[in-house]
Parts: sequence; C-alpha cells; structure tokens
Amino acid sequence: MTEFLAFPFFQRALLAGVLAAVLCGALSFFVVLRRLAFAGSGVAHAAFGGVALATLAGLPPGLGALAAALVVAGAAARASDASGISEDAAIGVTTVAAMAVGVVALGFVKTNIDLFGLLFGNILTVAPSDLALLAAAALAVLAVFAAWFRPLLLASVDEDGARAAGVNVGAMRLLVLVLISVTVVVALKVVGILLVSALLVLPGATARTLFDRWPGLLLGSIAAALLMVLGGLLISVALNVASGAAIILTGAVVFIGAFLLSRRDSGD
Amino acid sequence: MSVGIRFEGIGASLGGRRILEKVSFTVPPGVRTALVGPNGGGKTTLIRLLVGALEADVGRVAFVDDAGREVPRPRIGYLSQRSTLSPRAPVSGTDLVALSLDPRPGLGRREAARAEARAALRRAGLPEETLDRPVGKLSGGQRQRVLLARALAGGPAILVLDEPDTALDAKGLMSLRRVIAEEAEAGRTVLFVSHDTDSMGGADALFRVDGGVTEEPVEASR
Repeated sequence: MTEFLAFPFFQRALLAGVLAAVLCGALSFFVVLRRLAFAGSGVAHAAFGGVALATLAGLPPGLGALAAALVVAGAAARASDASGISEDAAIGVTTVAAMAVGVVALGFVKTNIDLFGLLFGNILTVAPSDLALLAAAALAVLAVFAAWFRPLLLASVDEDGARAAGVNVGAMRLLVLVLISVTVVVALKVVGILLVSALLVLPGATARTLFDRWPGLLLGSIAAALLMVLGGLLISVALNVASGAAIILTGAVVFIGAFLLSRRDSGD
Repeated sequence: MSVGIRFEGIGASLGGRRILEKVSFTVPPGVRTALVGPNGGGKTTLIRLLVGALEADVGRVAFVDDAGREVPRPRIGYLSQRSTLSPRAPVSGTDLVALSLDPRPGLGRREAARAEARAALRRAGLPEETLDRPVGKLSGGQRQRVLLARALAGGPAILVLDEPDTALDAKGLMSLRRVIAEEAEAGRTVLFVSHDTDSMGGADALFRVDGGVTEEPVEASR
C-alpha cells in the first residue's frame, strides 16, 4: 500500500486529512463541552442549501456554504440570547428551512452538482487549490481558537462565573458557532455534509471517556481525530471503500475502544 | 478605599412578572450587609442586577466611595445561589479560579493567576490534595469552596454572596464566617443573602427585600 504515498493526489489527501483532523479535533473539544453536536449537524445541512443557492447564482459553492452556515450560526446564537428559544430549537428550525431552500434551488439549477461528493465527501479528489484554501482556513480558525481559548473555556464551563469575570458570554457562544461553521465548510470536501458532524463529535467524545482535565481532553480530541482521519483514509485505500464512511467508522471503533478502556480502568 | 452600592429607582421583571418596584437604597461601604426576605421577594434578582447578570427595566446601580461620590464599577467577587458550573467541567479548582481571575484572550500560561488561585482556594478551606482535582470529583461542599475561592480571588472591593451557606458542612461554615470577618476587617463591602444571618457571623446593616426594600434594625434578623 506504501506505493500510494508516491502519488501527489494521495499526498494531498493525507495533508488535507491532517488539517481537517487537527481543526475538527480542536473544535470537537467545545462541541462536546457545550453539547453542540446538533449544531454541527445543523450547520452542515444548512451548507447544502448554501451550495445550491450559490450554484444557482453562479457563485463559488464554498462561499454559499459558508454564508448559509454563518447565517444559521448567527440566528441560533441570536435566538437563544434574545428570545429564550433554546439553541437546538433555533438550529432545528433554521436548518430545515435552509435545506428546503436548497432543494427548491436545485430544481432551477441547470448545471451538474456533485451531490454524492457533497453529501459524502471525497478526500482523494482534493485539488492543490482546495488544499491551499483548507490550509488558510484551518490556520485562521486555529489562531482564533488559540487566542480566545481562555474566555471560551470559562464561558463553556460556567456561564455565570464567566459573566461575573467580565466575559461576554453571548459573544463567546456566537464565536464557537462561527468557528464550527467555518470548520464544517472547510471539512466538507474531506468527509461531506452527512459525516462532518460526526467528525466534530467523535474525537471529543472519545477523549471525554479517557480524560477529565482540559489539556488531556483537548490533545486527546486532536489525537483521536488524527487517528480517525488517517486510519480511515488508509483503510479506504486498502479496502477500496468510500473514504468518508471509512473515516467515520474508524472513529466509531476508536470511540468504542476508548469507552471500553475507560470502563475497565474505572472498574465498572 | 471602601466602595458602597447605590440602587437608584430599580424596577425589574422576570418572565413578565414584576419582581422589584422603585427600589432605592444604599449598601454602606466597608461593612457586612445582609439581605433577608421571603422566597420570591427579589433578593437574588437584586444581586443579579448588581453583578450584571440581569438588566433592570428602569433605574441603575451606582458605586460610591465613603463620601458618597460616584466611582467606577470596582471588581466584584460573586458567589451565586445556584451555580452554573457544570459538574462535568474538565477543570480543576485551580484552573477555574485562575481562568476567572484572568479570562483575557491570549496565549501562554498565567502562572501569577494560578498562584493567586491556589492561595484563594487554600483560604476558602479547600484541602491541598484537591486543588488540582477536576471539579466533578469534588464533594458538593468542596465545590462550594471552589466557588467561594473564585469570589475571593483578586481582592474584590465588593464581595457578593447569595446564600453561600448552601451545601457547606460545619467546617465549611466556619471557614465562610472567618473569611467574611476578614474581608470586612480589610474594609471590603460584603453583601450577602441568607435566611440565617447569625450563621454568617452577623451583619452590620440589614435590608428586607419583598418587592421593595426596607431597612431594618440588625436585631430583626435574629
């Protein structure tokens, strides 16, 4: 299988996988901490509507996906702040609306959209320009993530305490949702809409079974994401199966293994 | 300099129900002040307005010095009645207090904040071996001490405690009384809500909150 490493397309796939894994692994920390699994899934599905609308308007699909994801994130943060509507209800409503818009828009689109690639991703077709965009976006998200980590962490574990310490809790909620939105769009090419939310949940959930302090949880989450993406990629090549599904199945196996390990260690 | 708190014409509602109406009074600087009153009377609402967790419909909260002149809002240490701290939060007491002391964005470890956090945790009576233990693995009383330490850390000019005796055992209560006495001795303003002011070591001023606020003689709490 090592002969694959000589191919530029596989080298790009590996690099894209590493970037997506580090990004999703880091964000997964906050997704699990703030119970935002549904938000990741909702934003990903809304991106579908954005892609369809952008294609209809002759704009880059990625731009449409990003715009739709940010609209859903902003609406969710605003709704939960302003009107007492819960975050999951706000995300649920805006997501299905965005998907319906996408389906309607698709009816008017004359050009071909790679729906299968959009839904399931195809990391092996990552172009050099995709990789450059992925790297730039990943660096930008990780820089914001690192710089704002302290107030984000405090607001995620104790809202009242954060507020008393002068942290703008609403802004932190919005920031997390925006980071998730950008991450979803960036990871779409790698695993597709349907599976990107799992990549945002599984690494953090896996690390949560093994670590109870944030440094271990954060590093464990990134490590689990790397294991998922790189392991899944190799399995997909070895068995000639869809890369997105292989990545998520690898993640599920890693999660179950970590869960069983934690049960054994705790003596349950 | 001690800092007092002036509530000016406060009106506040929760869920469409008016909780506080035309509330105006001053918490004197540098002493222990107790808020008493029936459940639902507005004590916690008043506290949440003070710390900025709620916004008043009308009126405002001002801060004054010993001479009654208005001063900028000082640092306020706050122990809430019902903590929003997640029991599964992946932080230790040291992590939490240090983050609260210095939550600014930026990279790098904040050793000074961690050292100050440890000092506050020890002062609140948290055993040494539990300082770096995840909060989920602490008892309810120990977690309450972490929250008390967070309120104390950084030497706030005003210490606000909303039923701080909740979940504390006898030893924890003793620590709490000692800390309140020390804070008042240092000239800090201590404002607390309690159904039993004696358990807090007594108060120098007392206000009854029941929709409005009236000052009562300190003996009235006994």
